[in-house]
Amino acid sequence: MRIWEQFRLQRKLPVATSSLTMVLVIFILVLSSPPANALPAFARKYGLRCSACHEAWPMLNYFGQKFKDNGYQLMNDRDAPIWQNPSYWPVTFRIIPLWHRESNNKVAVDTEAQSPGGPIPAERRISSSGFDLSGLDFHTGGTLEKNISFYVLPSSDATASFHFETVMGRLDNLFGSPWLNVKLGKFELDNLVSEKRILTLTAISGVYQTYHFRPQGDGNIFGQIGDNQLGVELMGHSANDRTRYSAALLSSSDGQVNLPYGSNAYSGFFTASQAFNVGKWGVDRVGAYAMIGVAPTSYLTLTTGGTATPIAGSGTGNRPYNREGFVGLFYFGKLDFQVVTQHGWDSAWFGAGYGDFIGGNAPNNNTPGSVLPPGFRAPSWNGYLVETHYVYSPQLIFIQRSEWERMSQQADPTVRSDLGNVDMYTLGYRYMPIMTSRAGFAWHNEYSWMRQRGISPVNSRDVSSSSLLLGFDFDF
Amino acid sequence: MRTFMIRWALLVTVTAFLGFSALSSAQMTRYEQDQRLGTEAHVGNLTGHAHAAKENYRRYCVGCHGEEGDGEGENAVWLDPKPRNFTLGQFKCRSTPTGTLPTDEDLYNTLGRGLVNSNMPSWNPLSNQARIDLVAYVKHFSPKFQGDKPGPPVQIPPEPEVTAERIKAGQAVFQKLECWKCHGVEGRGNGPSADTLTDDQNRPIKPFNFHDGTRFKCGTSDQDLYKIFMTGLDGTPMPSFADNVKPDEAWQLVFYLRTLQPMQSKEKQIARQLGLKPINPNSTPTPSPQPAASDTPATAPATAPETSPAASPASPPPADSASPNPPQRK
Amino acid sequence: MKTEYKYRVLALFSALVLFSIAILISGRTVDAASGGSITGKVKLNGTAPHQRGIDMSKEPTCAAIHKDKPVTMENVVAGADGGLADVVVYISQGLSGNEGASSEPVSITQKGCQYIPHVVALDVGQHMKVINADQTSHNIHPQPKNNPEWNKSQPPGAPPFDVTWANEEIAVPVKCNIHPWMHGYVAVVKGPFGVSDESGSFKLQGVAPGSYTLTAWQETYGTQTQKVTVAAGKPATADFTFTAK
Repeated sequence: MRIWEQFRLQRKLPVATSSLTMVLVIFILVLSSPPANALPAFARKYGLRCSACHEAWPMLNYFGQKFKDNGYQLMNDRDAPIWQNPSYWPVTFRIIPLWHRESNNKVAVDTEAQSPGGPIPAERRISSSGFDLSGLDFHTGGTLEKNISFYVLPSSDATASFHFETVMGRLDNLFGSPWLNVKLGKFELDNLVSEKRILTLTAISGVYQTYHFRPQGDGNIFGQIGDNQLGVELMGHSANDRTRYSAALLSSSDGQVNLPYGSNAYSGFFTASQAFNVGKWGVDRVGAYAMIGVAPTSYLTLTTGGTATPIAGSGTGNRPYNREGFVGLFYFGKLDFQVVTQHGWDSAWFGAGYGDFIGGNAPNNNTPGSVLPPGFRAPSWNGYLVETHYVYSPQLIFIQRSEWERMSQQADPTVRSDLGNVDMYTLGYRYMPIMTSRAGFAWHNEYSWMRQRGISPVNSRDVSSSSLLLGFDFDF
Repeated sequence: MRTFMIRWALLVTVTAFLGFSALSSAQMTRYEQDQRLGTEAHVGNLTGHAHAAKENYRRYCVGCHGEEGDGEGENAVWLDPKPRNFTLGQFKCRSTPTGTLPTDEDLYNTLGRGLVNSNMPSWNPLSNQARIDLVAYVKHFSPKFQGDKPGPPVQIPPEPEVTAERIKAGQAVFQKLECWKCHGVEGRGNGPSADTLTDDQNRPIKPFNFHDGTRFKCGTSDQDLYKIFMTGLDGTPMPSFADNVKPDEAWQLVFYLRTLQPMQSKEKQIARQLGLKPINPNSTPTPSPQPAASDTPATAPATAPETSPAASPASPPPADSASPNPPQRK
Repeated sequence: MKTEYKYRVLALFSALVLFSIAILISGRTVDAASGGSITGKVKLNGTAPHQRGIDMSKEPTCAAIHKDKPVTMENVVAGADGGLADVVVYISQGLSGNEGASSEPVSITQKGCQYIPHVVALDVGQHMKVINADQTSHNIHPQPKNNPEWNKSQPPGAPPFDVTWANEEIAVPVKCNIHPWMHGYVAVVKGPFGVSDESGSFKLQGVAPGSYTLTAWQETYGTQTQKVTVAAGKPATADFTFTAK
């Protein structure tokens, strides 16, 4: 509601309305699914403080990871809701009132110069700042019975428009073994460095670039490992959670409901990791992951009034893609480094702009008789993420993250080799002045900066954007 | 005016003095605490230091066990059973006789295992070093660990083979020791005294229900079960049977208790073949050692000496069985 | 002048030696059973509060023992002539610290699902026998504050076991978890002590001559103190009166 008023105000401004709106919309979209899984509902249930499960909420520590892997159970035969006071209700709300400043140095705006087609655009820096809100999350999760757990997360954007971010049921410890757990629904992929538990909140750093990277012009949205996906997952771990594995079968729909894509498009996501005691430094973990799948590029359409509308569920022409990489969590006492690498590869068809024609992220539809533009190749790239935490105390954490996305092969041989490369740096801290088992409250302050090579809308130059955020992040 | 000034000055001086003395006494206790932060814990080649666990205690433990380790954390009021009060230096799961301090390894194992049917989870996702440091920190709360040493560990003789005779004999031991008074004739934790039980802080406490879970408070193995009734669970109504149960009888009891548990086991299979019925406390009106012993002639070698209940070889060193409570000074 | 000074030093020195010897001897006399004694009576002023009856039907073997006379709680046990029983009288101040514990063990017997005696007093380090005379299992579960807490089972027919206490504590409550009505006290004192009988009489033996503070403790009414002076070879007397509440 408030956002709309802002829009109306902005329309009165002479310059750059569309661009500014775009910046805002991007920001709203990013914050619309705030990645929180810190659950005072669990803290209330078990009497543990946030810090027991979270290195700094919402990011998990090893104990919290094991709790999650157990199906949100402490495994003391008191996890079933029958043991709870009947007034207990496993719901947590999270929202972030904030002030932020967004800046983008290459926004296309109209100039006074006119061409026959209208005003000639030019690039300008647009900066805006003000008080704002994040979306609202309703987390509800826990157990339905011993070894049957669930998680439901209706999530809204800042205008209270809801979607289901997570809906899943899980059968835990099948045959009494922690090695067999089956989950069904829409859920976060088993990423050891979890984007849904990210400690950074700005428009730029609120997601991991590495988990969502697409080459310029690429139509494959399906390989975003940071997005919650629909599917079924088999997961297992050793009793102390030092060894973990998971294998998931997913619809290639990037988590979108109502079967919008093809009927035979599936992807698989696999992880395995092992943790080691490293003496007084703590516990380190190394692992690997891979996402391998196919996704449609060809859709039936119906043309009405001159526009061809793709028909949901009609996708065929599956083309392959894959993402794989290593994950490492390295602890040095209060200091830790989290490292993720990714090698991405898309079929040349995706690189040529085929793929999500339904959602409009791919301009081309692979209709019968389509051919690849001459010389087009399968794009590939590498991504690197290094996040550092200094946990001064359970109530104060300093965060740094650096991400680099580097194209190794462009689909189109004629474009510059570094087109779309990303550099992202963010620096911040979270201070939790209270620490109880009833609610979480954090003062968050962060600055992020990102540069994307050669993608400015008019002159194809590098785009730099920055974001500064101060706010109260709380859940209860 | 002048007298007023003098009076005023006097008041200020006295207040300042009182304030200062209060402050200095507070510093004294903090000094004492800092001294105790030097407490160490040793398990294998691990050495834990209390001062190293300060942040982790705050992170993981303080919500239930409290800043002072007195079991009065913000959540204690909501928990049942209540969190342990570390200042008493009294622990349920020990390998040492009743009334003595646990070994560092006992505490370390409890931390890694958790306590079933309570809110104390397993902390084994933490590093070994973090856990041994926390053991040292737990110890630093109680002055007992400054002077006293842990008791001598209870010796656990090798486990004999499971036989039908031993299971039947174990049932007789269950009846003779009157385990059923609290745990019930079927081991469901519903004996005649079950409702009246209280812990050391006079809070109601329930006896263990053997049908309820596969794990015991202090472990899962036969040895752990053996240890539980030889050491007792200090702070609870569960006493030590070390003086009155011989190792053979103890193993028989272990085997019998296994037949009560829900999971499949060799013991359970044998019990089914035997058609073992729950004990009838009225069948032998006064369960004294003599009739109980004559009930179990099958395990003659094991139970024969039972008729003369003399010394108890089960309780480890004679010094200890003589007086259960002399603190073992360094 | 100089010789005078010498004599003075000598006199002082010999006085010192004598004094030390006297102290040593007096210290010894405390151990000796032939030392002085303190006797007295503890009285209850007013009517003893009603003592709730105990239903032992859950333990038939004990109920059988009491079938002629109903059992009641023993929080205040007053005799017919106003004497107050189960009061521990001990010396709380004035002891030299050289008193040794008696080598005679005291005992506490579980009989008819009661502790006999209801209050037992003993010296630090003195041995205490725990006896089960019942045809049922008991667990003896003292709940001390200054001594380690322990909890031992004693099935019927089991031999007595022996206990000592390392620290002074007045008084340690003792209970049996199986029979929740059972309760008693163990008073761990230093030096001579006495426990009053049904008539309220008590006697402290082996008290060396000197001035002492005498304390009487009753489980419901708490403590009372008074000064008492024991002269050599003469029994001192001290009476206490508790007021019924």
